[in-house]
Amino acid sequence: MNSTFESDKDNLRYAEYVLGLLDADARAAVAHEVETSPEAAAAVALWQRHFTPLAMEVTDVAPPAHVWAGIRRRLAFDAAPPSPAAARTGSSIWDSLGLWRWIGVGATAVAACLLVITVTRPLAPPTAAHASVLMVSTIAGDNGVAGWTATMDIDRSELLVVPASPANVATDRNTQLWLIPAGGAPISVGVFPPGDPKRFHLDKDLLDRLGPTAALAVSLEPVGGSPTGQPTGPVIAKGAIRAA
Amino acid sequence: MPATSPAERDELNRLLLRTADADQRAFEELYRRTSSRLFGVCVRLMGDRDEAEEVLQEAFVTVWKRARSFDAKLSSALTWLVTVARNKAIDRLRQRPDLRPVEVDWETLVDEGPGPAHGAESDEDYRNLQACLAELEIQQRRSIREAFFGGATYNELAERAKVPLGTMKSWIRRGLLQLRACLNP
Repeated sequence: MNSTFESDKDNLRYAEYVLGLLDADARAAVAHEVETSPEAAAAVALWQRHFTPLAMEVTDVAPPAHVWAGIRRRLAFDAAPPSPAAARTGSSIWDSLGLWRWIGVGATAVAACLLVITVTRPLAPPTAAHASVLMVSTIAGDNGVAGWTATMDIDRSELLVVPASPANVATDRNTQLWLIPAGGAPISVGVFPPGDPKRFHLDKDLLDRLGPTAALAVSLEPVGGSPTGQPTGPVIAKGAIRAA
Repeated sequence: MPATSPAERDELNRLLLRTADADQRAFEELYRRTSSRLFGVCVRLMGDRDEAEEVLQEAFVTVWKRARSFDAKLSSALTWLVTVARNKAIDRLRQRPDLRPVEVDWETLVDEGPGPAHGAESDEDYRNLQACLAELEIQQRRSIREAFFGGATYNELAERAKVPLGTMKSWIRRGLLQLRACLNP
């Protein structure tokens, strides 16, 4: 058993490790002890429990969206498992039937949309190096019915919004899509026809704010879109953004 | 970073345990709920947003791979996550001494106390720590806080405070012994 002096010295070293005072070699030595000695692990954990609440004083900072995309890429989340449809055709995720089923669009709508997409946009050949980083959102009304689904392809800087059961919109109103960053003001993605698929190019400002902390919303606006740059009409549907 | 409610703490624990079972949805939800807090800690430590982004990515990759080593008996999920992020940040600071130093004027370092904005009154661990820190001499408290937030070595702290290395070590070590006695009565 250690003398009190020795165990004090060890215990101080663990506190110094937790604070971040040790140089690289001494840090590595303590990290090794934590792996191999339950006593060291418990002592380090106790200091961590003591000091970590200090982190409450640090102001939260929302990370940009590409951080999450990078994490998914490093963990190869998108590489496996490939959907059978994508594997068969070797084509982009935009026409992966599995994805559309998964995000809950009715089969008829899928067929109609896929036709439109396939006809209107010759797909670029897929890159074998890595799968695209995709995010999806089901944009639903207060009644829970999905009005639209949106798929965001970070690598291509694109957002595709597709009608599921869109609300009826008076002819003197336009539907406008908004990105709402966590704790931030809405940013306009653009005006879109409520009953047809629409593809948006996303500039860097929007891309940086995409991610699982952001949401999408659809508001009713005058023809041509909100005159103020912020939603002026009622929000008729909204949805969280999540990884596909 | 605001204090967490007991319900939120339980939810984060649950999400981290599910992440340990390779549940991607749980992992994503965990990221959604904690990334802003962890990124704030990384930005503060690294003093550079690009570096902080890199550290946050490394941290969450580690969270996914090592979530099984989380032991709910030893710490809360949030403590574990902050620890992973701080360890990544400090390791990187040690590898890249050129990233330092964020120039700090020692004498003007704010001797912060708990503010109402921290929601600290709801967090017992934080309250205890503040009470014990308040009993230290100002130089001890300032050194320990700066070590925690800035990830600096003894040498760097001594330079910043313009005191001999031995003096800095003595401030911090005496402070730590006093804290330990106060926190583990």
